[in-house]
Amino acid sequence: MPKCWRLLPLLAYAASVLASSQSFENTAIVRTVELGGAVVHVTTTYAIKSLEDGLKAYTIALGRDERAKTSYLEAKVKGQQDALQIKEHVLETKDDFHLVDILLEKPLSTNKTLNIVVETIQTHATEPWPATAGQKDEQALRYTTGLFILSPYATTVQRTKVKGMSPRIISYTTPKNVESFADNTAVSKSGATVVYGPYNNIPPSASSSFIEQYQQPITIHYNHDQAVLEVLKLQRSVEISHWGANLNTQDNIVLHNAGPKLKGHFSRLDHQTQAFYKRPAPHVLPALTLHLPSGIRNAYYYDTIGNVSTSRLRTAPSVPKNKLGTQFSVLEFKPRYPILGGWNYSFTLGWDAPLADYASYDKSTGRYIVEVPIMTPILGAVVNDEELTVILPEGATDVQFVTPFPALSNWIGTHVTYLDTIGRPSLTFKYKDLTPMHARSILVSYKVSWSAHLKKPVAIGTVFMGLFVLGAITRRVNLTLHQKKKVS
Amino acid sequence: MSTAYPVPSDVSPVTVKNAASLLRIVALSLISGAAIASRLFAVVNFESIIHEFDPWFNYRATKVLAAKGFYEFWNWFDPTAWYPLGRVVGGTVYPGLMVTSGVIYNILHWLNLPVDIRNVCVLLAPGFSALTAWATYMFTKEMKDESAGLLAAAFIGIVPGYISRSVAGSYDNEAIAIFLLMFTFYCWIKALKQGSALFGTIAAVFYFYMVAAWGGYVFITNMIPLHALVLILMGRFSDRLYVAYSSWYAIGTLSSMQVPFVGFQPVSTSEHMGALGVFGLLQIVAFAQLVRTHVSSQQFQKLLVASVIAIGVLGASAFVFLTIKGKIAPWTGRFYSLWDTGYAKKYIPIIASVSEHQPTAWPSFFMDLQFLIFLFPAGVILCFRQLRDEHLFVIIYAVMASYFAGVMVRLMLTLTPVVCVASAVALSTLLDTYIDPTEPIPAEEDVDDSASVVTNGSSAANAPSTQTQSKKAKKAAAAAPPSKGPLGDLVAATVSSTSTKAGASSKPKGIFGIDARLVVILNTLAMLFFFVFHCTWVTSSAYSSPSVVLASQNPDGSQHIIDDFREAYYWLRQNTPEDAVVMSWWDYGYQIAGMADRPTLVDNNTWNNTHIATVGKAMSSSEEVAYPILRKHDVEYVLVIFGGLIGYSGDDINKFLWMVRIAQGVWPEEIQEPNYFTPQGEYRIDERASQAMKESLMYKMSYYRFAELFGGNPGTDRVRQQQVPKVGPTLDYLDEAFTSENWIVRIYQVKKEDPLGRDLKSANAFEQGKKRKRTKPAPRRRAII
Repeated sequence: MPKCWRLLPLLAYAASVLASSQSFENTAIVRTVELGGAVVHVTTTYAIKSLEDGLKAYTIALGRDERAKTSYLEAKVKGQQDALQIKEHVLETKDDFHLVDILLEKPLSTNKTLNIVVETIQTHATEPWPATAGQKDEQALRYTTGLFILSPYATTVQRTKVKGMSPRIISYTTPKNVESFADNTAVSKSGATVVYGPYNNIPPSASSSFIEQYQQPITIHYNHDQAVLEVLKLQRSVEISHWGANLNTQDNIVLHNAGPKLKGHFSRLDHQTQAFYKRPAPHVLPALTLHLPSGIRNAYYYDTIGNVSTSRLRTAPSVPKNKLGTQFSVLEFKPRYPILGGWNYSFTLGWDAPLADYASYDKSTGRYIVEVPIMTPILGAVVNDEELTVILPEGATDVQFVTPFPALSNWIGTHVTYLDTIGRPSLTFKYKDLTPMHARSILVSYKVSWSAHLKKPVAIGTVFMGLFVLGAITRRVNLTLHQKKKVS
Repeated sequence: MSTAYPVPSDVSPVTVKNAASLLRIVALSLISGAAIASRLFAVVNFESIIHEFDPWFNYRATKVLAAKGFYEFWNWFDPTAWYPLGRVVGGTVYPGLMVTSGVIYNILHWLNLPVDIRNVCVLLAPGFSALTAWATYMFTKEMKDESAGLLAAAFIGIVPGYISRSVAGSYDNEAIAIFLLMFTFYCWIKALKQGSALFGTIAAVFYFYMVAAWGGYVFITNMIPLHALVLILMGRFSDRLYVAYSSWYAIGTLSSMQVPFVGFQPVSTSEHMGALGVFGLLQIVAFAQLVRTHVSSQQFQKLLVASVIAIGVLGASAFVFLTIKGKIAPWTGRFYSLWDTGYAKKYIPIIASVSEHQPTAWPSFFMDLQFLIFLFPAGVILCFRQLRDEHLFVIIYAVMASYFAGVMVRLMLTLTPVVCVASAVALSTLLDTYIDPTEPIPAEEDVDDSASVVTNGSSAANAPSTQTQSKKAKKAAAAAPPSKGPLGDLVAATVSSTSTKAGASSKPKGIFGIDARLVVILNTLAMLFFFVFHCTWVTSSAYSSPSVVLASQNPDGSQHIIDDFREAYYWLRQNTPEDAVVMSWWDYGYQIAGMADRPTLVDNNTWNNTHIATVGKAMSSSEEVAYPILRKHDVEYVLVIFGGLIGYSGDDINKFLWMVRIAQGVWPEEIQEPNYFTPQGEYRIDERASQAMKESLMYKMSYYRFAELFGGNPGTDRVRQQQVPKVGPTLDYLDEAFTSENWIVRIYQVKKEDPLGRDLKSANAFEQGKKRKRTKPAPRRRAII
């Protein structure tokens, strides 16, 4: 099961770390770091061998910094689809490392081997270096991580591959004090890949003494050809309307270019020259393509001071429910101005979608089930803070929901909108540090009775009826003090 | 009696009355619908956006009102406007507009209709135009009848002269003011007719609303007293007039003084003295009437002469004395410019620099009013036929408003309602005549000519073919009633001369047959259709542009939006510190405050001439001179509008001469307008531009790096159609910070002082590796002669 790490109320799970330290042996650990902008993808493959019988959990360790940066962690047995359950240990403030248990599907007997793939996404793991860049300059980032992959078990061989998206790696750290593990080369570089290791016969490294003695930071300095995007704040509100058979989604987005800050000033002339010669600066974001769901209509894109007329939308027809669709509505989205390093741009994006694409009705229980996407992924961007509000129809009762990963906090409130009488129940979820991997859906189910559906027309009808009656009465009542005599 | 076409005779009068009433309601609602719909071109073609300049301030103030409540708004001191002076907004605005939207907004929210405040503001003007149509209907109904009222409502609903200031998004005081104007006038007429204190009070309440909403309330303040005065002079004083005027004036003036921006003006400025004088006069006349009933007529004559002279002398000398003493403020400059169109240009260039303060061009009368402009005199003359008290009002209104509309373009707005009313009266009289089925009893044979002569609207209206008219009208046409005083004689002369032209009045008049009727009616209908087409076309093409957003056409004919203003303003809003002061010419002050939310030096509320002149001086002098001014005012960014790349003609270079003139008004030694022209007296920006022009900050900021855009080819300024110099200007004290996509908005950042204490020019030269020019050392010794 994937976990959204930052959001987890830390489980009070005390594990007997030391007791299990000799229960496994890592025959090989390979870590692959795919460098990116705001999001760094780290895949670690553990080839393990059990030394005891009936082991149910394998424990991995993350460095302190690594833990802070990791916003997503998923463990699988290699070649299998389903993710394994994980359990996190309490993070002690003084610890240099952090332990996570991976619960195996079936207990492992002695000398059995298994390949476990742990996929993590790190956010805010890179920093622009130099921190400022002129409009014509290139963009370079720095990524820092620990040299050794920590593990509570002894490791036969381990290796770290760092891959850049472009082959231009400016510099990398050469590790010191690794003679006891490395045969010949501590580090090597070929093309866009820097390989640390192989390092042999490493003792259980998840211990303060090992970390103090051997662990060291390695830094890769590399060129990055895309703008580093951060969504500082995303407020999504999803409104379900049964009368309109409509699911309205509205995102308030604060976009920030987290790349190197602009040195000097923006020159339109230079920008137009770059566009003319098709040599766009890597840290400038002139436009962005977003994949919105299929079947949407009435899309709108505006900001505080009005409509933004520079976007184009190509909608795809909705996909029938029983089929798996891969089509998206493509929004060619252009901010009012190109977003240079350090600049912000806030805007609102919204659309309507047929409710039938997202909702279904369970006849046996009389419940509606609606699938609400948590976010629309922006490629390579991290969402620092999200507040998702799901507004249910007026009169919805018995509300239940299932989240793919727990929210930082969530509550039920009341939202009052067009001609409501008692207001609509709304669910609010808060999230932090979401990546495109988190773009999953929350399932919300609720009951709505017939009388609740009719509440609004009846209320409005009554008010208008009252007005007409009042009008008719005032028309027929004569309040004149001095009645004029009728002249026939 | 024979009829031209069959008329059902078995319909009961009640049915006719009810059907007519229903038809009127349907017609009025359709007219309201049309009035609203035709104003939505701006929303349909563009978007729901606040237009132009002043509406942005109103919108901003309304947002404050909606967000923080009325008292916060009342006490609102805006430190970001007129930096560093600030502006007491609550005391310097007409709050009627904002309060109206705030009330509507709160009611809608109370009804759980969470409408955005922007949409309330955008749609306020169309909504109120529907009310204007209704008020005009009521007003015209008092002049003639319901059918004229419906015509007038239809006219005012779609006439471009009114649409020009009330399209959706044109969120300005005029949006609600015209409704208030018409409704106040209607209440006044009603009060005068009935001698009703109730309607007088309602008129006063709406007058108060008008005072709170628009500076043009002075028009009412002078129209109603003028009407009352004319009535007194014509010997038409009555108790009804006394009740109506006194209740209106007393309540209206007291309540109008509650508006902080107006304050004690109603008793202390010259514009309001007329109303006060007439009020006093009315009391005297009423008193005289009272005395008259108690003393003999001879004594009364003497008494009257003596007291009139005494009071007149006393009143006038008191007025002069108070004016000299300064208790009564003399006429303001804006007022003088109403009488002398050249006055503003000479003494107050700020007023003259606004395009809507220019005298009206002839074509714009036709553009704004189309065929109403020639129906209008006919309607006014028709008012003379009955010349009841309310007709006099229309006549006076027509005369005054025609004059003002000729003086200032924006006052076209006050002319439009009376044009609609008078034209509706004329057209409805014509239609009444020709639709009426009764045929005259044939007595003579020459009646046919009069029908065939009459084919076009205005002459038809003049010719009193008055079979259908009431007896009173006939009397007025036939012989001038002797009791109407000097004006009445004049009227009688006009009317009788027209009536003699048409034929002897003793012959029975009327129209025979259906064909003669159809010719006229179909012609009239055609004119009305053309009017509708004209209005729609003018509205869609001329008056529906928000001017914040510009539209052009792509090669394939689709609309291309040029959105440079908002691009730059939004950039300022999102990427500059919140307290960064932006300097621009005052036209853009409100927009910067509204869209970019940054402090500005000057804005469209042009209350401080010196401050504006300071900005004008900074723009028109060289960098070295401007820099200390900028630094002293904490200016962080300077914003200029430049249309040279895409041919946007309303840019700052074209407004530049006004900046120079306004600056010259305050610093005549430093800034001189002739310096900005070539020796031949041309206004040029190319190689031959004058030295002062080339060195001015405005020129430099507009053309900075512009020539480079053309890659070595000679660059052309598409507004001025001149080639810019190959080597563009350089800037030492400013940095280009942002330029919008089509180069319309250019923003410059003011450099801080050099940390080493050099002046920025030499610091810049050092950076670029230029050698400092060695000045010749002064000779130490002079040869002794």
